[in-house]
Amino acid sequence: MENVLEIKNLCKKYDNFELKNISFTLPKGMIMGFIGENGAGKTTTIKAILDIIKYDRGEIKIFGLDNQKYDNKIKEDIGVVLDDMFFPEILTPKDINDSMKSIYRNWDTLIFYDYLKEFSLLPNKQIKTFSKGMRKKLEIITALAHHPKLLILDEPTSGLDPVARAEVIQIFQNVLEKEECSILFSSHITTDLEHIADYITFINHGEIVLSKTTNELLDNYGIVKCTEKEFKSIEKKDYIKYKKTKYEYEVLVENKKDFKAKYNISVMDKITLDDLMVLMIKGEE
Amino acid sequence: MIGFIKKDLAMIKSNLKLIGILLIVYAVMGLMGEMDISFLLPFMSVMIMISTFSYDNYNKWDAYAISLPDGRKNSVKAKYIATILMVLITAIITTLLSFIISYINTKTINYEQIVITMLGTIFGTLLVLTFMYPTIYKFGVEKARIGIFLIVFGLVMIGGVLSKYINLSFIVKSLSFLENYIVIILIILMVIMVYISYKISEKIFYKKEF
Repeated sequence: MENVLEIKNLCKKYDNFELKNISFTLPKGMIMGFIGENGAGKTTTIKAILDIIKYDRGEIKIFGLDNQKYDNKIKEDIGVVLDDMFFPEILTPKDINDSMKSIYRNWDTLIFYDYLKEFSLLPNKQIKTFSKGMRKKLEIITALAHHPKLLILDEPTSGLDPVARAEVIQIFQNVLEKEECSILFSSHITTDLEHIADYITFINHGEIVLSKTTNELLDNYGIVKCTEKEFKSIEKKDYIKYKKTKYEYEVLVENKKDFKAKYNISVMDKITLDDLMVLMIKGEE
Repeated sequence: MIGFIKKDLAMIKSNLKLIGILLIVYAVMGLMGEMDISFLLPFMSVMIMISTFSYDNYNKWDAYAISLPDGRKNSVKAKYIATILMVLITAIITTLLSFIISYINTKTINYEQIVITMLGTIFGTLLVLTFMYPTIYKFGVEKARIGIFLIVFGLVMIGGVLSKYINLSFIVKSLSFLENYIVIILIILMVIMVYISYKISEKIFYKKEF
């Protein structure tokens, strides 16, 4: 399968934080959820992909091309939503359209105005009069209006209320139905990703902890809730992490079927990305 | 690059009223024979353009600009071109207005003096741009404002001290042979200093991380 994004051994060192050998790939037409707690390195990785920061070592290829060498060519086909609000708030959506149609070769004014209408954003109103949800929608519309082949979204739903979040997710789903687009979607709100992501890549303390298909994760991984006696009977190689709560042990296992076959301990059937993230971060080895 | 220029010019739309008011003030003062403030408009246009850096910074535009095609290169180039455009447009408008005022007041138009004054004004405003923009790209707009104040203050102090001990009129006299070439020298100097300033800003911005 063709990859739209390939990251190999990406390293970037700051005084108090470090990205360590980040590697993952995003196949064409897929949505990858990029999860991790705040400060784990999601935004730093995304900034390195977009050349907003320079990295110390490693390789980033987008559409098979080096991201720094072919910067201009690549960016024509990327749509971006960054973590922070980024449009000068004295501009209007009309100003954004006027500027962007001279910046992107494939800018589609018609579709931009269609989206504005669909999301009830007035073209001549200054952005500073918009709510946070409206601003986010405008940013997403702008990222979509040049028919990108790759969307890079850094926390596009953070700070939004549940209704606005659902609307934003719906926009992406609609786009995926119409266009062949791949998405790298970073979020610490994992419930947003469970329904739409094909792949999950989990970053913690600047390192990739896992990168797998969502089905593989949710179908195979399991959490065992057991007593101390039962926990002590489990071999160390059969679990990833565990957490001791007031009354029981919560143990994360990589393959719940194998675990069930080996031990006579009941395993929770359904695991969520939230459960996985909390145990991965807070659990002991 | 045109897209980035459009964005910068769109940001100063709300300041057009201020420029209009200044034009009226200038016309009234000119007709009353009061002080010549023709330098004010081009100078204000640079100041207004500098305010766009504050908005960019406040709304974290630069990181996004880099994620756009050719963003690193074009956002710097656009700032320079948009500023020069604004300076030239306001200088041309002021010059035309000066012709009209001069004609109403004296029934003749002193073309040479008006054009030389305006050229001096453009030179002065572009000098501000030349120092300010690389400083803004390096240290941010707030620190650059303080820095430029210190530079101007320092230059005035040095000038003041020097004029006490050195006979400046001697230097002016010895350079008087250049008088006939003053226009061409000013234009060449302006082009060189703006180009060098642009190249420095471009280099600073190229290395910058957000």
